[in-house]
Amino acid sequence: MFIKYLANRTGQALLVLWAAFTASFVLLQLLPGDAILIKFLNPELGLGPQEIADIRAAYGADTSVWQQYQHTLLGFLSGNFGYSVQAGVPVSQGLATNLPPTLRLAGLGSAAALLLAVLLAFASQLTRWGWLRSALQSLPSLFISVPVFWLGIMLIQVVSFRLGWIPVINPGKWQGLVLPTLTLAIPIAAPLAQILIRNIDEVLTQPFVAVARAKGATRQWVLWKHVARNAVLPTLTIAGVLFGELLAGAVVTEAVFGLNGLGSLTQQAVGNQDTAVLQAVVVVSATAFVFINLVVDLLYPVFDPRLRSRLGT
Amino acid sequence: MFSLKKSMGWRVWGASALALGVLVAGCSKQASEPAASTGAATDQPVQGGTLVYLEQQAHTNLYPPAGGFYPNGGILNQITDKLTYQDPKTLEIQPWIAESWEVNPTATEYTFKLKKGVTFSDGTPLDAVAVARNYDTYGLGNKELKLPVSEVINNYERSEVVDPLTVKFYFKKPSPGFLQGTSVIGSGLVSLATLARPFEELGDATKIIGSGPFVVTAETLGKELTLTARKDYAWGPAKHAHQGRARLDEIKLIVTPEDSVRIGALLSGQAGFIRQVQAYDEKRVLDQKFAIYAPSTRGVNNSVVFRPDNALVADVKVRQALLHATNTKEIVHTLFSANYPQATSVIASTALGYVNLSAKLGYDEAKAKQLLDDAGWKLNANGLREKDGKELVLAAYESLPQPQNKETLQLVAQQWAKVGVKLNVLAGDSGSRTVDSLDPEKTPVAPGMVGRADPDVIKSNYYPTNRNVLLQKGGVSSKVKSFEDTKLNGLLEAIAAETDPAKRLAFTADVQNYLIDQAYVIPVFEEPQAFAGAPSVKGVEFEAVGRPSFYGTWVAAKH
Repeated sequence: MFIKYLANRTGQALLVLWAAFTASFVLLQLLPGDAILIKFLNPELGLGPQEIADIRAAYGADTSVWQQYQHTLLGFLSGNFGYSVQAGVPVSQGLATNLPPTLRLAGLGSAAALLLAVLLAFASQLTRWGWLRSALQSLPSLFISVPVFWLGIMLIQVVSFRLGWIPVINPGKWQGLVLPTLTLAIPIAAPLAQILIRNIDEVLTQPFVAVARAKGATRQWVLWKHVARNAVLPTLTIAGVLFGELLAGAVVTEAVFGLNGLGSLTQQAVGNQDTAVLQAVVVVSATAFVFINLVVDLLYPVFDPRLRSRLGT
Repeated sequence: MFSLKKSMGWRVWGASALALGVLVAGCSKQASEPAASTGAATDQPVQGGTLVYLEQQAHTNLYPPAGGFYPNGGILNQITDKLTYQDPKTLEIQPWIAESWEVNPTATEYTFKLKKGVTFSDGTPLDAVAVARNYDTYGLGNKELKLPVSEVINNYERSEVVDPLTVKFYFKKPSPGFLQGTSVIGSGLVSLATLARPFEELGDATKIIGSGPFVVTAETLGKELTLTARKDYAWGPAKHAHQGRARLDEIKLIVTPEDSVRIGALLSGQAGFIRQVQAYDEKRVLDQKFAIYAPSTRGVNNSVVFRPDNALVADVKVRQALLHATNTKEIVHTLFSANYPQATSVIASTALGYVNLSAKLGYDEAKAKQLLDDAGWKLNANGLREKDGKELVLAAYESLPQPQNKETLQLVAQQWAKVGVKLNVLAGDSGSRTVDSLDPEKTPVAPGMVGRADPDVIKSNYYPTNRNVLLQKGGVSSKVKSFEDTKLNGLLEAIAAETDPAKRLAFTADVQNYLIDQAYVIPVFEEPQAFAGAPSVKGVEFEAVGRPSFYGTWVAAKH
């Protein structure tokens, strides 16, 4: 039963990946111009019409769309992503350099966001003062409206340039991740906290909570043992969806902090219509997105025993 | 997918964040010291140390002829040597890897005697064979490896290795600009191993093997380069004040796209030198006694050009009217600083062959209106000029590499609006920009500039088979219907072929006059490259068109 479920989900995932690949291919083809035109018509190179025609022929830029699609798809299936016209390196080399830092940043960012959201939600539940409670509960709306780049620049200006605590230029490997992680985590933490707070409020009105309290359990115990588990499910769903937000945030964060990563790679590729790179980025992001959501789906039964029995595990 | 809209407002937000940052610290330092002149060296030079250099953009392809792009040139200038050295002050061509040279009277044969004992950083010799291979590639291109021809080499035919240290080049037609062409970044010499690589692999800086004072020892793609000094370097330009190995041990070149982060990092001591300082940030840098370096690019000025293939601007009177409707003084005063001199000709006043044409360039609104009236463009009910039922509405794409180009064009649009002409300033993605810029119907107006310290620059900017900024017939664009100016092209060809230096400069003067008389071009200002450096960073030099050279640079002890 579980194996069948897994196979089903994996099949769906592959279909989604193929669709993402094809859709991005079509969209990129629809854009006016292409990377070779942009690169070689650059007046800095000062090439003549004949030279450009030769280069286009050498890159196979003028073959039919269908041929290019087959060529690209086969390349991807065999792990050959092609060359970045703009950067002058194989796309795989660009990915190898840029994927790990983004994964690190995204991983730390989401962990920090989750921590922040849980702390906020629980602190606002446990506090005894009403004013602090409403202050804490309104923080997420503030966070959500802070633009990532503004937050990043503010943190750099104050923490690095004014206070001199952390260098932005040439920092240590982990030291350099502190500010970007915060920048990325704060706006992501906001919706998580909002949902968690609302769900806790909702679960707290359930009769079983009253029963537990009546039996003499403390507020903290009830919150942790009974409420948290029930409130975390919707949050988990949102966390999967927020992964997209995380990637978007990484684009901006990396540019502001001058970090290398998938974000800055994408930004440069978009600017130069570097199709091969964009195609690879789409597929990699889609893979990650699909994978995260698969993991989220598989985590449901862990938190909810009712689902476990339905799957027969 | 990714939301790129978010990046749009950075500048604005960056500025407000900056303002807040300043408020937080309650900073109110005041100082007024003039900008340090380029390479002011007062203390005793120091050997050793690391320079942190912040670049705005990542390099693209490091095939030397692609070195015109500033981020590329900034790297290539440290890691490659050239046959000759152009003194950035006198523009005289001096020996470098070539100890001496001979040119035949018709400028079709050049013979270079090379310095002995020069090696590339992979240990292979920089000899006549290597030089010949470099120039064969740059002069003819290599189709198999997709290596394009260099813009600075005209009429190249072949090379000949006379002996291990003597190389001779033959040209199909006179090529008087070639000697200067051997001194530019695009003619940097690389090893045979580098030349054997296909074009698409030359974005990897570690694969560019030169003979220069620095070697790329580490690279994080798109982010950071480590340049390490070559200890055995002993072949700097012959007349250069500094000889032997570079003074610095290492340069850390870090790509930092955000303007406010580059400046903040410099002022807080995290970086020593930065490229691309906007005019509005200069005061902040100078106030803290840091230095602004704004070397001239000595080429074609930052200008607005017309594409006369488009009927709207085909009439010389219309173009002249717009030339006189453009108040370049206002543009320079509103948007820029003293480092951006108002243009007085098509090329910069520091460029070879410059003639002062300010008498022909005056701002005169009344004259502009008169010219438009004469040309039959009358004001309609919308306040726009109209003729035969068509309104005089023009469009231009902003040019991203040029400083505050969007703001410049918007100010031009305001000025033209006063005489009833509308200029739409377009942003758009790079694909649309590239495609539309080839179509005179879509972009009757375009911004442009190019840096090079030889009269050839003016030819390459306007000639149909080169940059072709006016979009004449015979160039890359298939959208041009009929526009061709044979008189202009004749003059341009004469510049490229004339071997008598005095006559060459005379032709250059003729071209400048012709371009302005025809009002093909509205020169706006002389574009510098703007850098800023910490007070402790000394001896930074710039080659003739404003790319930094860190060969003689040192970092003084902090005081």
